[in-house]
Amino acid sequence: MKSRLKNTRRRGRVVVSVVVAGVLSLGLAACSGGGGGTSGLDGKTLKMYTWIGGKADTQQWNDYIAGGMHADPKMSVSFSGPPIGDYYTKLPSVMKSSSAPCLVTFQNGRVNQYVQGLEPLDDLAKKNKLDLKAYSSVMLEQLSVDGKLYSIPFNAGPTVMLYNKKMFKDAGVADPTNDWTTDDFIATAKATTKNGVYGFAIGQASNPISTLMAADGYPWADKNGPKLDDPHFRDALQLLVDLSNKYKVAKPLEAAAGGTFPDIDAFSTGQAAMEMTGLWDLQHEQKALGKDNVGIAVIPSKSGVSKGFVGGSGFGITKTCGDKQKAFEAIEAMTSKSGLEFVTKSQASVPARLDALDAWSANAGSPEFAAVIRQLMGDATPSPVPSNQAQLDTLLTQYEVNAFSGKSTVAEVLQQVKAGLA
Amino acid sequence: MTFVRLDRAEEEASDGSVAPPDRPRGRLRRRPLGGPRWVGWAFVLPGLIGLAVFIVIPQVASLILGFSDSTLLGGTQFTGTHNYIRLLHDPQFLNSILVTAIFVLVYVPANIAISMAMAMWLKTRIAGRNWLRVIFLIPALSPMVANAAVFRLLFQKDGAVNQALATIGLGPIPWLSDGNWALAVVIGVSLWQSFGYNMIVLGAGLDSISPDVIAASRIDGAGRFRRLVSITLPLVSPALFFTTVLTVIGAWQTFAQAYVITGGGPGNSTMTIMLYLYQTAFTNNQLGYASAIATVLFLIIAIFTLFQLWGQRKWVHYD
Repeated sequence: MKSRLKNTRRRGRVVVSVVVAGVLSLGLAACSGGGGGTSGLDGKTLKMYTWIGGKADTQQWNDYIAGGMHADPKMSVSFSGPPIGDYYTKLPSVMKSSSAPCLVTFQNGRVNQYVQGLEPLDDLAKKNKLDLKAYSSVMLEQLSVDGKLYSIPFNAGPTVMLYNKKMFKDAGVADPTNDWTTDDFIATAKATTKNGVYGFAIGQASNPISTLMAADGYPWADKNGPKLDDPHFRDALQLLVDLSNKYKVAKPLEAAAGGTFPDIDAFSTGQAAMEMTGLWDLQHEQKALGKDNVGIAVIPSKSGVSKGFVGGSGFGITKTCGDKQKAFEAIEAMTSKSGLEFVTKSQASVPARLDALDAWSANAGSPEFAAVIRQLMGDATPSPVPSNQAQLDTLLTQYEVNAFSGKSTVAEVLQQVKAGLA
Repeated sequence: MTFVRLDRAEEEASDGSVAPPDRPRGRLRRRPLGGPRWVGWAFVLPGLIGLAVFIVIPQVASLILGFSDSTLLGGTQFTGTHNYIRLLHDPQFLNSILVTAIFVLVYVPANIAISMAMAMWLKTRIAGRNWLRVIFLIPALSPMVANAAVFRLLFQKDGAVNQALATIGLGPIPWLSDGNWALAVVIGVSLWQSFGYNMIVLGAGLDSISPDVIAASRIDGAGRFRRLVSITLPLVSPALFFTTVLTVIGAWQTFAQAYVITGGGPGNSTMTIMLYLYQTAFTNNQLGYASAIATVLFLIIAIFTLFQLWGQRKWVHYD
């Protein structure tokens, strides 16, 4: 009797152990995932992970996919992702997860930090006889790391000054010319600041600094990273602080989560007359303020000869992608001449292919826009993207507030940022 | 699993008191209620699997990663105690401990005091008290990220709070430009969000106090303060202990409020440990170092919780 009871218990323990081990191993197998032949695909459809902040982003990706299908009807891509503010922090986890996509996107050439999870595209480009010379060379340089290309650009454009034409008219201010200086800009901002509305909206983090430096012909970073000790870097941040504290033409920056856009919000709601932004924002602003109400100008410079700060976005392929050839063919289609020309019918961002620029000028741009872009693209300051840009932007967003509140000097803020990067 | 001593149950029923338990006379004397032993395991198994997969395995993995230089996309090399030595000299990390400690010191007492006061107020015979309970619980039920995003707009320099203050001749207050004010905003929003939950738990504790005990204390001549200190607080102490332990744990893990409202700034004045951990892992791509921070945070919370468990003997009354 006793021994039967013992045997039953032992059997019970064995059964429980087997069940536990089985369930745990199933769980671990699910966690380890990936690597399979269909990884990153949903049937025949390639999965793309990208930033989606709202209807405008959704429309943008739908348009690029439609453009791709226009060039290659067999192409099939689906997309998902978080808003841009969370995109780069979630991207590494997604690329390493069992549900990693085949395609990912990068803005402003930010591939540097993610190359360990990306497939170099040089061999695929050779194999598929893709003519890389057709693309913006500045963008190809930004999307390469150590001589290897990790992303094919689909748009490229300089950061520009957008302005509210009605506010300019109401203030009796003439539209900016393409040789306006920093002093002209400050005078314009002063004239348009009234009734609780500011003349200019300041953006967070490194982009406004790098844009102002580039306009004067100074690169904001080199192979060693951001040039925080460069006096021109300090001058650019000081100008932004002065616009708020000295000239009172801009709202001071306050503490905020990274990836928020107080400048874009202020401009699109009529709380500011000017903002510095990429052309990707143009369509959104035209919808918010009226198509004919949004003007475009070069970034003001000290000398009046403004140089461009070029940024753009591209498609990359993950290392875990189950069908890299198919993924490359999709990129080829979405960035083809006919694909990008198709996109210009509905999107204002400038195509990364030079041979699609004419279609862009005809469909989305205007002679005024084209003149600005030609000037800034034609004489662009090199715009390298340091590998620690995400960390730099986070630190700048945190610490620059102290310069606006007067708690720290600009030099102190840059030292604090430098210490945080160390 | 529940065990019943059938022999003692009879004695309990006959005279209404429980005799001191005898030593068990063998395993067969303590019989589980119904079914063979594996049935119990079958009931516990899903919970155990969940505990293993979602708690134990990640914690062990995090502990191991804390001794490496692992990155999110790269390889892993073991670096011994390097990360922990680095933590001792990392001013950002030491600052995050200070910020979180200030948060805990202000937030926990304020939360318990407000929750207790509200629970006592709602125990009085005010009209619509059940509706008020629901209304005060709504912030706890709504998502913190959405709440925090709204509060960020309210506390901007030209936001609704400063506009309201201006109408009575005050302000503007640099809520989000000054480090001290920014931390005050984060603490205030956290209080607003979470006091409702504790209020409900403490309210249930207050409801369980027998009205006879209160009536007896009144007959004995105890005033309001005396009743609060000598009757109400001791009798509600188990609920107070429960809420305090959970509130302290939650306070050390504060993340969403600082992440959404201030991003840790201005400077690093609202950089909590969890936010620093998140930035280290997902912005700076230092998974190994972030895991070391997680281990230290786990130890801090464990020490505080053990201290509270030890201290409860002196002030928590279960009778």
